[in-house]
Amino acid sequence: MSAGFSAVQWNRRKLIYDGILIAGVVLFIGTFMTLGALRNPPADMPAWINLRIKAFGTCAFVMLTIVLTIGPLARLSPRFLPLLYNRRHFGVLTFLVALVHAYSVVDWFAVQGATADLMNEMVASPGYGKFIGFPIKALGLFGLTVLFLLAATSHDFWLAFLTPRIWKTLHMALYVAYGVLVMHVALGLMQENRRIFIPIFLGGSFALVALLHIAAAWREREAAQEHDRWLVVGAPDSIPEKTARIVTAPDGERIAVFRDGNQIGALTNLCAHQNGPLGEGCIVNGLVTCPWHGYQYRLEDGCAPPPFTEKLATYRVRLRDGVIEVDPNALPPGTKAAIHIGPA
Amino acid sequence: MTRGHRTFHRLVWPVLALIVALGFTMALVKRPPPEPPTQSEPAK
Repeated sequence: MSAGFSAVQWNRRKLIYDGILIAGVVLFIGTFMTLGALRNPPADMPAWINLRIKAFGTCAFVMLTIVLTIGPLARLSPRFLPLLYNRRHFGVLTFLVALVHAYSVVDWFAVQGATADLMNEMVASPGYGKFIGFPIKALGLFGLTVLFLLAATSHDFWLAFLTPRIWKTLHMALYVAYGVLVMHVALGLMQENRRIFIPIFLGGSFALVALLHIAAAWREREAAQEHDRWLVVGAPDSIPEKTARIVTAPDGERIAVFRDGNQIGALTNLCAHQNGPLGEGCIVNGLVTCPWHGYQYRLEDGCAPPPFTEKLATYRVRLRDGVIEVDPNALPPGTKAAIHIGPA
Repeated sequence: MTRGHRTFHRLVWPVLALIVALGFTMALVKRPPPEPPTQSEPAK
């Protein structure tokens, strides 16, 4: 059941998010170009374009690194959930910055009348058989193509059209693109420029993404193994009023445990509409509301209110020694399972 | 993210990360040596 539908659900939080995002990009590129021009004043047009290539390329790589850290950060701490809220816009802007970087490369060849050299490098380079000397522009083009595909299919229309399963699998290609783009820099800029800063920045970014994913997976695994059957959620007060805490079952399934006053209930974290992250939503007018499209469910039994028919799997909840615990075995969708714990 | 996606993600991620880490290390090790400094005129 949807509280209402509109093609693009703009709201104040999304506008602030996008405003900060665009300001950050402008500040990064402006600072990079200013410092670059002061440190090594460009002598001619190709030198200026070269500076632009580096500024936009660095910015796109930093943005891509941040995009890939948001998911594990949000799983490690709910403080990072606001970053997850509008991550798709972050991804689209990353593609646009990368596109300017790619356009600048073409421009660099064009102003020198050497577009044929660029074509030769792309299609007939002997470097395709080498490691050092591999045509890095082909790697960059691959990464840009993946970013374009993801940006072009980022709208909810594509999520519905492709089905959440295919859409999510497609968007996993971002990890492949990141790996290819790390090699784009490692075989390109890192070979041309011997400054120690470049491998530290590149290796550090890659290590940060990898370690955060490992840490998030480790945390979820530990939480799931703490109790062999019932999962500890925490004291009732540790669940913020009208929102949820997400716990992970041993099989990896996420469970959203909501508190609405003195009522506590657990639902699957996957919305019946498009697998939206229900536990990142909140309770509106007594109904658990998905943050993606506003689909709503009763906390006590996971059913959408009439006339809607969607039902979610629920989980048994209990209060033991002042601690809320949840049974990780899902009940059939629509089963009453919420409890009342007395005045909260 | 459903269980199937998560399983796929957990299998693919370490393999991809290892390939990229290996590629990055090789690119670092095989970097061409710095240009030797140009010899200045001997002092007279």
